[in-house]
Amino acid sequence: MPQVTYVAHGGDRHTVDVPIGENVMRGALYNGIDGIVGECGGGLACATCHCYVEDAWAGRLDAPSEAEVQMLESAASEVKPNSRLSCQIAMTEALDGLVVDLPERQY
Amino acid sequence: MATQVRETFQIPDHVPPELVINVGITESPEFLADPYAFFRKLAETHPPIFYSVGSHGGAWHFLKHDDAFRMLRDAEYFSNEGGTPFPRDPADPFKFIPIEIDPPDHRKYRAILDPVFSPQGIQTLDATIRKLANDLIDEVIDKGGCEFTTAYGRPLPVSIFLDLMGLPQAMRDTFVDWAVGLLHSTTREGMASAFAQIVAYIKQAIAEKTANPDDKVISRIVHGEIDGRQMDEKESFGFVLFLFIAGLDTVFATMNNMWLWLAENPDRRHEIIARMTERPGDMNAITEEMLRMWAVTFSGRTLRKDLELRGVRMKAGDKVMSVLPSCNYDAEVWPNPLAVDFDRVRRPILSFAGGVHSCMGAHLARLEIRIGLEEWLKRIPDFSVKPGTQIEYRPGGVVGPEYLPLEW
Repeated sequence: MPQVTYVAHGGDRHTVDVPIGENVMRGALYNGIDGIVGECGGGLACATCHCYVEDAWAGRLDAPSEAEVQMLESAASEVKPNSRLSCQIAMTEALDGLVVDLPERQY
Repeated sequence: MATQVRETFQIPDHVPPELVINVGITESPEFLADPYAFFRKLAETHPPIFYSVGSHGGAWHFLKHDDAFRMLRDAEYFSNEGGTPFPRDPADPFKFIPIEIDPPDHRKYRAILDPVFSPQGIQTLDATIRKLANDLIDEVIDKGGCEFTTAYGRPLPVSIFLDLMGLPQAMRDTFVDWAVGLLHSTTREGMASAFAQIVAYIKQAIAEKTANPDDKVISRIVHGEIDGRQMDEKESFGFVLFLFIAGLDTVFATMNNMWLWLAENPDRRHEIIARMTERPGDMNAITEEMLRMWAVTFSGRTLRKDLELRGVRMKAGDKVMSVLPSCNYDAEVWPNPLAVDFDRVRRPILSFAGGVHSCMGAHLARLEIRIGLEEWLKRIPDFSVKPGTQIEYRPGGVVGPEYLPLEW
């Protein structure tokens, strides 16, 4: 089972199992990890599942859609080059071990 | 603006008189004459926060996108308790679930249905929705016209709802009648009668699914677990009834609003069809922009603590109502907000509210509406409102035309 490590804004790390095909937002929600809200349930309608993908992993993700890029502008915390909306990152074998940093706030 | 004001209602002392503007949303004659013109007028001319008294009592009204999101997202200040103005028998009270449940418990109820209503879950309904849409179009396409609300706007979402719940399609017309009776009756008796029938039917469906589980929504609710215990009958009832109310009128009001605009705007209709043909992916942005233009409902809360916003001092216990359709016309978020512009930068619309209670059916609604548009426009690209039609809106918590006679 692939794993994702979520690094909270304060530095605490939580590593959890996230099945292939599940998205990184739900990986956090279903494992009780604070720091990702996902209020619209993964529909690119809220920007509250914002995360920063650590550099080593950035190249292994599919490029964001235009809708994701636009919706990121509504994120509450600073949008950086490695910002993504975690509901759009689907787990694959290649992403086993993915590390994402969580922003200071989602709204 | 003449509005029936509940005479016994006392405006709290701390509300400054200059901020009391009784606008009668959902009920005043001005509102009923043209609700979306009314929402535009509020957004453009009224103070961002003001107090209004109507037949449901008094509440602060929020018009700005920012303030609405504050109301929707800040559970420390804003509670859902008592925020849903739906009459209930005080001798047999129940809570609408999950709208009337605050965090942390509300998440436990939502989790039961997350797999069904997630974007992936809802995607499995694509073919079913297309087939239902086409079956409905088949019935009218050769007739040169139809009454849209009964031919398509109402039955399409109701059919899908029945499928999701695990209820028979044969109930479709009855369900439409009940939904209309409950939410659009002109008499209390009409509403009470519809309510009684819905209640009886839901109770029977709950009993049936208790005995015979399946993987549909009612069964999942009935057999769902909260904190390791099964939901009791009252909870199941409150959950199913809420889905009924939330899931039917909203989508059909939205579609009725959209088709009215489409009927009256042939150039824009042709633009949509061209885009649909050349770049089918545009339909997502088109659906989203149309949802922004015609939000159909509101969201209310009760303040838990004193709060000052934009210099307005509100107190614990005050009711607050975000006028979501006006919030969707906030020029600070959407420049030139009254233009229907399919190329806008995507921003969070408030049609599905927001925060932890954001509409669970949003992905389903988007899919239904997008497919409803695609299939109709493919087969009936040109249509107009029947001449001489008077578009009528009725008082109620969901905004849309009562009837929409079309011809082609």
